[in-house]
Amino acid sequence: MKLEERKSARTGDSYFAGKHPSGLPIYLFPKPGSHSTYAIFGTRYGSVDTTFRRSDESAPCTVPPGIAHFLEHKLFESEDGDAFARYARTGASANAYTSFDSTCYLFSCTENVRESLEILLDFVQSPYFTEQTVQKEQGIIGQEIRMYDDDPQWRVLFNMLGAMYHNHPVKTDIAGTVESIAQITPEYLYRCYHTFYNLNNMALCVAGNIDPQMVVELADRMLKPSEPVTVERIFAPEPDSVLQSRVEQKLPVAAPLFQFGFKETAAGRVPSRKLAQTEVLLEVLASDASPLMRRLLDEGLVNEFSFDTEYFEGPGYACVIFSGESADPDRVAAEIKKEIARLRAEGISQAAFERAKKAVYGRNIVSLNSAENIANTMISLHFAGNELFGYLEEVAALTRGDVEARLREQMDPERSVLSVVSPIS
Amino acid sequence: MGEEVEVQKICEGVTFRSIRDDRFKNMRLAVSFLTPMRKETAAANALLPPIMSRTSREYPDYTKMAEHLSELYGAGLSADVQKLGDMQVLSLRATGLADRYALEGEAVSLEYSKLLCSVIFDPLRDGEGKFPEDSFLQEQRQAVEMLDSERNDKRTYARQRCEEILCEGEPYGVNRAGSREDVLRLSREELVPAWESLLRSAQIEILALGCCDPQPVARLFREAFEKIPREPAEPFPTVRREARAEPKRVEEKMDVAQSKLVLGFRTGDVPEEEESAFRLMSVVLGGTPHSKLFLNVREKLSLCYYCSARFQLQKGILLVESGVETKNAGRAEQEILRQLDEVRAGHVTEEELAAAKLSLCNSLRTVEDYLGGMESWYLSQVFRGRILTPEEAAAAVSAVTCEQVAQAARKMKLDTVYCLAGKGEEA
Repeated sequence: MKLEERKSARTGDSYFAGKHPSGLPIYLFPKPGSHSTYAIFGTRYGSVDTTFRRSDESAPCTVPPGIAHFLEHKLFESEDGDAFARYARTGASANAYTSFDSTCYLFSCTENVRESLEILLDFVQSPYFTEQTVQKEQGIIGQEIRMYDDDPQWRVLFNMLGAMYHNHPVKTDIAGTVESIAQITPEYLYRCYHTFYNLNNMALCVAGNIDPQMVVELADRMLKPSEPVTVERIFAPEPDSVLQSRVEQKLPVAAPLFQFGFKETAAGRVPSRKLAQTEVLLEVLASDASPLMRRLLDEGLVNEFSFDTEYFEGPGYACVIFSGESADPDRVAAEIKKEIARLRAEGISQAAFERAKKAVYGRNIVSLNSAENIANTMISLHFAGNELFGYLEEVAALTRGDVEARLREQMDPERSVLSVVSPIS
Repeated sequence: MGEEVEVQKICEGVTFRSIRDDRFKNMRLAVSFLTPMRKETAAANALLPPIMSRTSREYPDYTKMAEHLSELYGAGLSADVQKLGDMQVLSLRATGLADRYALEGEAVSLEYSKLLCSVIFDPLRDGEGKFPEDSFLQEQRQAVEMLDSERNDKRTYARQRCEEILCEGEPYGVNRAGSREDVLRLSREELVPAWESLLRSAQIEILALGCCDPQPVARLFREAFEKIPREPAEPFPTVRREARAEPKRVEEKMDVAQSKLVLGFRTGDVPEEEESAFRLMSVVLGGTPHSKLFLNVREKLSLCYYCSARFQLQKGILLVESGVETKNAGRAEQEILRQLDEVRAGHVTEEELAAAKLSLCNSLRTVEDYLGGMESWYLSQVFRGRILTPEEAAAAVSAVTCEQVAQAARKMKLDTVYCLAGKGEEA
């Protein structure tokens, strides 16, 4: 396969990218001097992908929620034992996760890189499900879902998404529900596996102590060519409005937790430039150096260890989220709205913009220290149609006008949801 | 590669260690104060680093300080408190981008070190010489909220409760940040004397890591300590008690779906030459997804959702934590103890031993790819007679035999069984 070298003059780093003849996009980021290697092999298939159309079929297909996560659990197991047992012989530390928009399998190791990579490429390409193993997994995942019912951080997020979205499947728990996973059969699993685990729909990213040639040779040997089939995500139309502007649940917590989100109209994925604008905008609005943070702290409304902001976006959904613990989440939400209105009216000062940009820029450079971070970022950028060094350049090129324009299109107070988890007594 | 640790003695009880490594795009400078863990001083000590890192004389206002850090490419001044053995460890830390990445080529890195020195040696005070009242009240509130917040994570909460009961009456039984009541009872008057006492008599470990020239940084500290009348640190050996003859059992109820069971073991004294065997034993027992606890208690018997072992070398305790259905807690405990007996009897296959070694060596060798990992590693090493690099520790682990693992397991005695039980069901 042909590898193209991509360089960043700004950081002095470079990586290799290419499409393997099997259909798989591959990204390789050697880090000289690194002890460890981190590899991640994933598919653009997450919990929101419950309705889809394959390019070789005419009709869309709808499946029960929770299959992406169920597949993740099942792929770890094969006819000849589970993947953990195989990694035990290489010393790699392995894991897997399912998110809203992707499912990824990963490991980190300092020895036996080739053997570990071989295991990774092998088990993800070897589905094995029977009635019996599916039944056993339904029990295990059912328990996992109940465990999350106790988790205040998880509840406060899903309560917010449930109040924000009318139809979009992002509102459903990543693992599905006890009822939806009860409907899962080996046929559904094979159907989804063969649709989404097509190598054209996947990516492999490896960073750290690697020899790119070794990875390519292994890919040549291990990857089973995929049909050139693509898959289209289908979502029911989502109204611009939110369902409910406030939602509250009582749980045994010591202090109330909140998530305060602003819904946006989202079609596909948000391009790099806009992501960079939002990152700087949130830095201006709510970093430690912001007037908002100062006011929230002075009033005793938030604490530094829990208050946070996030741009939560994926296929068909996008929202800015403020989160944390507070004795009075409603006042926090009111202060945030007030500050957004003030910034819209008065504009962002050049000094505040410059500071925020420098902080965001520094943070993004430092994130290139870690092989883990690099590989994780490369795969999520790939699935979103973006690129690693391109993002850094977008940050460096930002102007104050860009960020002010972004402020005018984001964080509409009419489309906000406040979710609160409060103590029982 | 070739990360060389360079050691300099700054003055009595103050050591400066540096590892220059230009692979990193930033630097990390950490100053840690090691002082005996005592209930009377824990809360005041723990509040000092966050108060001091809020402001400085040059940036006497929280927002001004934050603005300055943003201008330095998002540099960080951070503070934390932890326990290592029976010592309370208070750390203040500066992190920031290496000079070569500054957009206009400005020299930023020495600035982080100067900033850190200014908050440590010349912190902002009010007209009466006290730390400012707004900083005090702010950090006191946040410290209480942090303690409350730890209760939200039931797994952490159950682990802390087990440690408290296991080490009742010992320094290790005190919360690293003091109790909620002690934090609320603090007065601003106590803080400056507490700070001066730490500067005079705590054991101080300075670590300069990553992309920076350590020499000018060491010079800054040398000059600053010239003005401090240092006293020899008091000896404060960690208490390593024998386990109770009969394990103490405590069950507490909470309205949760899943119960948390934590078994607390004493390892007794662990001589330096046996450290690797204990580390490895903990991994064989419950450190990986192919450990005895994970494979048997979780996978084979489906008695819990997680089951793992955590070894506190500096204190000589080991905790086995698991999340169980309340009705299964008794069976899970029996099975955990049965698996420990297997290790004690030397029933560990060659594959199990080899897998545990590979896994532990993998985590040790990964330490040097992270500045944070290096900081924790070298800080934990200061209790040893001779500092080991992660690579040396990995080599020592590789040489451990099955019999040495069994011997380590045989030294472990069950002391405390703690269960945070879901309501409405009996354990």
